[in-house]
Amino acid sequence: MNKRKLKDKIMLGVISLLAIISAIPILMIIINIYAEGLKYVNLSFLINFPPPPIGGKVGGIGPALVGSLILMSLALVIGGCIGFFTGLYLSEFSHTRLAQYAQLFLQIMVEFPTIIIGLFAYSILVAPLKRFNAFAGAFALSIVIIPYIALNVREAYKSIPHSLKEAAFSLGISHSKVYLKVLLSTARRGVLTALLIGMAKAAGETAPLLFTILGATFLYFEGLDQPINAIPLLIYNFASSPYERWHQVAWGASAVLLSIILAIFIISRLVIKEVRM
Amino acid sequence: MSWAIEINNLNVWYSDKHILKDISFKVPKNIIFAIMGPSGCGKSTLLRAMNRLLELNPNAKVKGQVKINGIDVYNDNVDITWVRRQFGMVFQIPNPFPHLSVYDNVALGPKLNGLVKNKKQLDELVKHALQQAYLWDEVKNDLKKPASMLSGGQQQRLCIARALALKPKIILMDEPTANLDPVASSKIEELMLELKENYTIIIVTHNSQQAARISDYVAFLYMGKLVEVGETSTVFTKPRHELTEKYVVGKIG
Ligand SMILES: Nc1ncnc2c1ncn2[C@@H]1O[C@H](COP(=O)(O)OP(=O)(O)OP(=O)(O)O)[C@@H](O)[C@H]1O
Ligand SMILES: [Mg+2]
Repeated sequence: MNKRKLKDKIMLGVISLLAIISAIPILMIIINIYAEGLKYVNLSFLINFPPPPIGGKVGGIGPALVGSLILMSLALVIGGCIGFFTGLYLSEFSHTRLAQYAQLFLQIMVEFPTIIIGLFAYSILVAPLKRFNAFAGAFALSIVIIPYIALNVREAYKSIPHSLKEAAFSLGISHSKVYLKVLLSTARRGVLTALLIGMAKAAGETAPLLFTILGATFLYFEGLDQPINAIPLLIYNFASSPYERWHQVAWGASAVLLSIILAIFIISRLVIKEVRM
Repeated sequence: MSWAIEINNLNVWYSDKHILKDISFKVPKNIIFAIMGPSGCGKSTLLRAMNRLLELNPNAKVKGQVKINGIDVYNDNVDITWVRRQFGMVFQIPNPFPHLSVYDNVALGPKLNGLVKNKKQLDELVKHALQQAYLWDEVKNDLKKPASMLSGGQQQRLCIARALALKPKIILMDEPTANLDPVASSKIEELMLELKENYTIIIVTHNSQQAARISDYVAFLYMGKLVEVGETSTVFTKPRHELTEKYVVGKIG
């Protein structure tokens, strides 16, 4: 083996080692959370009310799970629609001033501290109503996920070869049909991934919910204008409480939340694989 | 004589770059009209200016007239999707929708444009278009397979079928054989000779031999200007312009 080959080998070894090291924290988080939390998770944990702070059984996170699913779906509908059409516009009308500014704006929005978005939702949807409510939370989550969805949808449409766009337009099909009926199926992999990223984001965000939904611990869904709970908020509230019992619930809830995120991630990988064939 | 297409003082710019300069010519019906010229002279641009596909490029600016049946396609009252349906277009690189089936590639245009009333009509239309493109016998058992499974030559004939399914009057072909092997190319050339019975074909080529072989009329484009246009036999045997002569003997290009 000559010197240069040896150098290459060492280089490759160092890079691989660094890659492994960077993956360690993620693995440790997953192991740690499942080790601490999985033992509390069973069907009744997913359905039941949380326990009182002292005494009683571990109970469950039913209201928070239901709340999270409702908030995620709403955010996905609102943020998904707005984000999708924004992304389509960014890709297909990228030469317009509006698209150039919008893109810059969205890139800044991605970096926005989400607590500020929560505060904004508080000021326009909670303070005037004088009540924490589910809709304010869904609204805040929608704003959080819009830039992620829009920028990823933009990439998805941008990646369609120009020759296919020409083919579609040469058939005399209107703009809306070209984008939604012909090219969407070409870009579906990227669009689905965009929506899944948005969903995972909506599932895990805590800060936008702090000032909006209250985290009504002992209520299932009572209406969009009423308080509601969500898993990340429950974890935040319970883990920062002084009660051992609630710490256990928080660990269990963390394991559930992690599973939801991992499931979304795995689904998005499968989507990519399925479509590639 | 009525013309398939009349072009008057057509100018095209990309941003500030003047690409096509004062082009005027007429194309008779039911013939093969070839546009030849060296790379970059504006052949593809000219073709896309006819069916207004050029407008996909936001920097493109067009001035002048392109008339089909006496109607200027650039008139404000004319619907751009109508214009595009008057033309069928075939591209340099075969570009079927790769994730759609053979059937759906042909059916898509008629379906989305509302040209058929029911499934039976659509089936017939698809079959007829595939037969016209000499592809039916090769794919009739694989209609549900994705188009990406076909060979390059078959894909190009599928694209021709896709264009024919809209029942256009004029077929625009932008170097349709440039990416095919000789056997597949000669199949496409035979097909063009067949199709000119019912259609007017405008083909771009930078291969002057191909133009000589198949076209009835030919236009020679050089650096955005129309140098010469006329019957192919005349242009190739008695070119009026020195540049044309150089090009047809292969000294330019
Ligand atoms: N999208 C574009 N923006 C700016 N300039 C362009 C664009 N497309 C083409 N051009 C330029 O316009 C000129 C004509 O291009 P066109 O594609 O029409 O040439 P062509 O004759 O078809 O060439 P070829 O034989 O290589 O296909 C070229 O100089 C090219 O660089
Ligand atoms: Mg070209």
